[in-house]
Amino acid sequence: MSDLEKITEQIRLATDYQVNKRILREKIQTDLHIPYNGGLFKVSIELIAFLNAWDSDDLFLEDTYQNPVKINRQELLNKCREHYQMVMNTWHCQHEDIKRARKV
Amino acid sequence: MKTSNVQEKSRGVLLFAFNTEINKIKIDYVKIAEQAARLSDKVLGLPVSLITDQKITSTFFDQIIYVNNTLKNYKIGQPGAWRNGDRFRAYELSPYDETLLIDSDYLMLDRSLLKLFEQEFDYRIMTHNYSQTSSWPDCMGTYGLPYQWATAILFRKTDKTEMLFDLVGRIQRNYSYYLNLYHIKYGSFRNDYAFTIANNILNGYDLEMSQGIPWPMLTFTEVVKSITFANDLITVKEREKAYVIPCQNIHVMDKEYLLSDNFADFLKSVCKN
Repeated sequence: MSDLEKITEQIRLATDYQVNKRILREKIQTDLHIPYNGGLFKVSIELIAFLNAWDSDDLFLEDTYQNPVKINRQELLNKCREHYQMVMNTWHCQHEDIKRARKV
Repeated sequence: MKTSNVQEKSRGVLLFAFNTEINKIKIDYVKIAEQAARLSDKVLGLPVSLITDQKITSTFFDQIIYVNNTLKNYKIGQPGAWRNGDRFRAYELSPYDETLLIDSDYLMLDRSLLKLFEQEFDYRIMTHNYSQTSSWPDCMGTYGLPYQWATAILFRKTDKTEMLFDLVGRIQRNYSYYLNLYHIKYGSFRNDYAFTIANNILNGYDLEMSQGIPWPMLTFTEVVKSITFANDLITVKEREKAYVIPCQNIHVMDKEYLLSDNFADFLKSVCKN
């Protein structure tokens, strides 16, 4: 293989940052799901804000599968906050890593 | 009536492996299943059972279940038998109360599917699939049902699940009838189609009744040159593209790659972590 061919192959194999970023985001969306009391919830800023604002501790919430699940507001809020922070930290770290991996 | 109960149940992974020959290339699915079993054991911490027609001895499996696979199927455009039948027997043959039934080319690199076992359900089927190089139609034909993927199915031994697998068996035996009924152009038997149809019937033909896994499956459809693992990131090199992605379950369709030394090295690096 000539030098030119080698360079051409390397350029072809240059990783596409935008594609990697998109795949990473999909993985993070998966990781944001948490099981709770027989239901499955995707932790979002809306869910955290709702749980924070609601004024009673026991209520029913619709989960990912459109089932009403009995929740303890404070307990789920704590879980969501903890999980959200962990997943977002992972996202940030891995995003920094893939930014550096433009070429392999 | 049996109902779902998440307590004190046996749980494990179930794989099918029927060696085959496509384009004069022998595909050793048993070896691919062994690699998948190593990953599942390491990452999920679950026992893995194999359903096969090969008389083998292997230390990678919790149980090896022998069956006589008689389906003569052909993949369009590829000479040689494609032995993908009898998946419907997973319900009857699974030694576990809670089973994760996966294709041996779906590599378990994270524990996301285990989250689903913490809910009550009869079964869950992979519903979304995405790839950076290929696109699949959303439906099985112009007037067909939305796709579901038999690549990953979680199930418990309940009456509803038994009906699902029975229906898949019925669809396999009468496949030409169901092809016409559901306006499917692709003639070869596909488990994806059979499970999609069975799921639709079982849910009263209601497309809104989702038994799906809520996140997508990442599939690599092209020829893979190498996969490496470092710092919690996976680098997948194809002929003309490369991806750096977080450690996650991936569906690798290049069977030759899954039989390569490079893949064995990749497994070693994942399993030693």
